[in-house]
Parts: sequence; structure tokens; C-alpha cells
Amino acid sequence: MSTTLDTNRVELKPWLAERVAGYLEIEAAGLDSTAPLAELGLDSVYALTLCGDIEDAFGIEVEPTLAWDYPTLDLLTEALREQLGQSR
Amino acid sequence: MKESAVDRETELERRFGDPFDDDNPVGFGALLAADERAELLPEGERLLTEWGCNLEFVPARLGGNWRGVDELGRRLRPVFRRDPALGLGYGVTSLMASVNMWVAGSMEQQRGLAAELRMGHRIAVAFHELEHGNDFLRNALRAELDGDRAVLTGVKEVINNVERAESLALFARTSGDAGARSHSVLWLRKKQLSAGRLRYLPRFRTSGMRGCRIGGIAFDGSEVPAELVGAAGSGVETALRGFQITRTVLPSMAVGVLDSALHIVHRFVTERKLYGHRVSDLPHARTTLAEAFTDLLIADCLATSAARLLHLAPRNCAAPAAAVKYLVPMLLQDAVQDLSEVLGARFYLREGPFAAFGKLYRDLPVVSLGHAGPTACLLTIIPQLPALARRAWHPEAPPAALFDTEAELPRLDFARLSLAGTSADPLAAALLAEAERVDAAEPVRELAGQWRALAAECSLLSGSELGPAASAETFELGERYALLLAASACVGIWRQQRGASGFLGSDEWIHAALRRLSGRLRGDATPLPEQLAEPLFAELTRRVGERESCSLHPTPVFRSAP
Repeated sequence: MSTTLDTNRVELKPWLAERVAGYLEIEAAGLDSTAPLAELGLDSVYALTLCGDIEDAFGIEVEPTLAWDYPTLDLLTEALREQLGQSR
Repeated sequence: MKESAVDRETELERRFGDPFDDDNPVGFGALLAADERAELLPEGERLLTEWGCNLEFVPARLGGNWRGVDELGRRLRPVFRRDPALGLGYGVTSLMASVNMWVAGSMEQQRGLAAELRMGHRIAVAFHELEHGNDFLRNALRAELDGDRAVLTGVKEVINNVERAESLALFARTSGDAGARSHSVLWLRKKQLSAGRLRYLPRFRTSGMRGCRIGGIAFDGSEVPAELVGAAGSGVETALRGFQITRTVLPSMAVGVLDSALHIVHRFVTERKLYGHRVSDLPHARTTLAEAFTDLLIADCLATSAARLLHLAPRNCAAPAAAVKYLVPMLLQDAVQDLSEVLGARFYLREGPFAAFGKLYRDLPVVSLGHAGPTACLLTIIPQLPALARRAWHPEAPPAALFDTEAELPRLDFARLSLAGTSADPLAAALLAEAERVDAAEPVRELAGQWRALAAECSLLSGSELGPAASAETFELGERYALLLAASACVGIWRQQRGASGFLGSDEWIHAALRRLSGRLRGDATPLPEQLAEPLFAELTRRVGERESCSLHPTPVFRSAP
């Protein structure tokens, strides 16, 4: 089993940016963190699977629709930060 | 639980009686004649009303009969054995519309719909637009919401019963944004509409299911009373949850079509003489029938297990349900295709004692009307493959109720259905657990090895390979997942039946089933060897002779009314 990331040391936003950029096959630095992910080209069905990555990396349970309800990188980062804070 | 399921299914079978009897007003003769007229047989619809068909679509907690999803699939098989158009056309599309309500509707809406269904009303599922097909996130029919009213603009096409249904579950775009929160499900009740608010499109004619009333509907800026089902913007989520149920249960009903096809063709080969032999004595015919019977059992194992998984692991069913909808129609259609070759010229005649086969052959591909096609199903699976490979496929003994159809199931919790749950899958785990047994059979070990290989390949997927632009090789990974899941379902059911002395606990059928699946995985199916084909042909012969179904658990079929 993979060990969960230490969320004190891992920056959430770059981690998420890397996941999204990986799917889009672009550089993470080029991502507009205020743009709707769907408009960046993130397939909605794929977005559901981000939750699996998050669950594995951070050891928490998240709803698959998290990326639908917080549809920009900034909003998603904030939502995830809040969920992690709550689960401590 | 099982007793009541057999009773309802058996009761419906009894009401339909012997379809081979020309004097039967709901037999093949009458059904075929109605099909020639592109109509549904009125006597058939009356029969279903008297049996209380709509109650099967209403959950028990709302006063209906629906408890187990696998039960529901079995109960409708008597209709699908005789006329899939009657099944779909009478009301299975009402089920497809209703699940949206059971998933997301308010208590008041759910009670209201239950009452309508009890009265015999229909509800049409107005989701589909020809322009967008299964890419329904791009659906364009627009609803501008304003309290409990909406202004509708756009069309829905290829919708069963759209004209005669008393209400519609309408999937409408409620925001211009890209993404998955821009659509909503609305409940549109026609009696609340003033005249001229909607326009019906001309009937769509189809190659099969010709009796179904398939039409369309257009709104030209019409203001209508329309209730939201669930929150605004929740339409895609609601639909995807509902699909997990309908993608599992519709193929289960369709198993009835292959059941009939087997009975018909077996009767044919037993009567027909060619080349100085009875066709049923010819090894090629026997093997083909044995293979088709094996494939029916595989289909039933997968559909039944996935249906029970909805109750036992509701958060893990998105990929399994898509696997059922991908694989079961393919197994059924390929088997019917093979059987058609045994039937020879009788296959394309529209008269005579075997004409029913031709209609079943035409109808079967259309059973999926307006519902997810194979590509859409694989596109549900593919993005989840890396996470599934990492987390979901580990050996673990299955919960007792997964493979034991007599075991009680917890109530189906519609709210817990998850769109992309990738934690441990009890259905996949069954084959992997079996392979670890000291006495595990070689084919089981081999398939477990294939599963590990699949997991390794899935973990390499990234980027655009996880979306609609995925390569053909990636699509093949999705197919392999479905085939391996089917193998796991077969093994799970076989293991569960080992204690009992019946056919399902035998070595012959499981070896035949795993061989068929391995052949598909390799892409080269060789015929079943005689030592596997013969026991299956013998069991098939017994069932046809005694008028029992060819499903997992045989039930009485095609018997004359007493």
C-alpha cells in the first residue's frame, strides 16, 4: 500500500495542478488556476477519477463529484484543504 | 426472497402460456402479426396490466414490488422471451425514467410517481438527442428555470412512448457552462400543460422493436410547469446513478431473448433431418447450441452478480454496471447470430413455426434503444482503470449474499450509488480469491494471472488515454476488464453452488464458461471440445424437453395454461 502524503510538506495546489496537467498533457505551470476545468479541456468523466487519486494520496474519502462542484484549480484546492483540515 | 421471485416470474409465464400454440392469443403467432403491423399486441399489453407490471418498477418502501435488482431482471424475462418490443413498449422505459425519481426525487415526488405508475400511467425518458447521442453532457435542449415553471427550447428524439406517456422525465440544459453541473432532470406532467405547448415529431421507424411507439418532442420557447427532480445542475449526477441500475437490469431482462432462441433452435434441430441425420445428431449443431447455452449462463452470472453488488457495495458499481451493459448484449447477440446459422433458411422466413426467431434476432440489438452503447460503456470504465488496478482488484472472499440468489439482500440505497468508486470490488475479488486456493483449477489460475497483467497495463495509462481520445488498445483494456469480471461472476456462483448437487456446481459448465471467456480474451475462440459440449447439450436438451428456462436457475417456461 502506498503511504499517504504528509500534507504539511506537500503543497496541495501544485499537486492538483500536476494531476490535471498530466491528463491534459501540458505543463502544470501553464494552467490558469481560475479557469473552469471543463473549459481547460478536463473531461467531466475523467474528473470523477481525481477522487481516487486524492483518496490514495491523502488517506481521506472524497465525493467523486468534488471537481464538479469546485470546478477551478483554486476552488478545488480550497475545498480539498478544508476537507483535510476537517479530517484531522 | 427467491420463492417470491420465482412465483412472480412463474405467474407471468403462466399467464403468457405456450407461445408455440397457434391458438394462444398472446403466442408467437399473434405477436408476429402485430409486429408486421408495427403495433404492440393489445392483448399483450392488457396481460401486463393485469399482472401489475408497473408495480415492479416501484420500490417496496413506496408500496411497489421492487426489492432486489436481480429479481427485477428475472421477473420481466417472460415478456422478453416472447416479445422484447412488448416489454420495452409497455413500460420498461417507464422504469428507465423512474430511476431518476428514486435516485433524486423528493418524497412527495416519489409518492406521486408511485401513484401514477400504480394507476397504469407511463413516464417517458426524454433524454436522448440525435445530435449528441451518448455524449449527453452536450445535450442542448434548454430549460430556463423560473420557480416551478420553465421555458423549454429544443428537441428530444427517438423517445419511446413520448406521445402516450402521461409524463416525461426530461433531461434539460439549465446552464450554458461546459461541464457536468449544467443539466437538470425535470418532471413534466402533460395534464398540467395547456394546448400547443409541445410538438410531437413524426414517428421514427426502426429495424427491430417495430411495434414500439418511438417518437420525438419539440419545444419552441414553450413555457411549461416543470418540477426539478433533485437540485438544479444535478442532472448528470442523477442520470449516472440511475444508469448503474438500468445498465445492469436491462441486459438481465434481455437474457430472456437468448433463452427463447435456444428453445426454438433446439426444437428445430430435433425435428429437422439433413444429410440422412437429425440435425441434433450432428456435432457441429450440438456444439453451437452448447456454446450458446454456455454464453447465456455467463451473461446471467454477470448480470445477476452485478445486480446484487448494487445492494452490497453501492459505492463500487459504476464500472461493473458499465461492464454488464458492454458485455451482456454482445454475448447475447453473438450467440443468437451463431444460432441463426444453425437455423439456416428458416432464419429469414417470416412465416412458419420458426419465424419467431427472426423477430427476436431483429429486436435484440434494439433492446438497448436510446441507452448506452458499447463505446459509452467503455468510456465509463477506462478513466477508472488506473485507480481500479491500484485499489480494487485484490483477492478476498466474497460476502455470502453476492452469489447466493436465495440470500437476503440489504435494501438498495439509491443515495449511496457513487459515480466513480474504486475501492475494493467484491465481485472482482472472487476470482482472485479462488485462484489462491490450494485446489484451484488451472483455468482459474490462468485467468487470475491475466487479471494481474491487466492491472499492470492499466497502471501505465495516463493523459489522453483516459478520455474519449483513448487508443484502440486502451479500449481493449476495458473489454478485458469486462470479460474478467464475467469470469469472476461465474467462478463465484460455481463456488457457491459446489455444496448442492445441481448442474451449477458441476465442473463441466464452469470449464466451458471459462474456456469461452479465455477464448474471447485471446481473440481466438476455438470450439468447445466434445467432453465439455456434450454435458451442456444434454442439460440444454433436458431443459427444453421439460420446458424449463436456460437461465442460471431453471424456472418453468412456455407451458400451456392449465
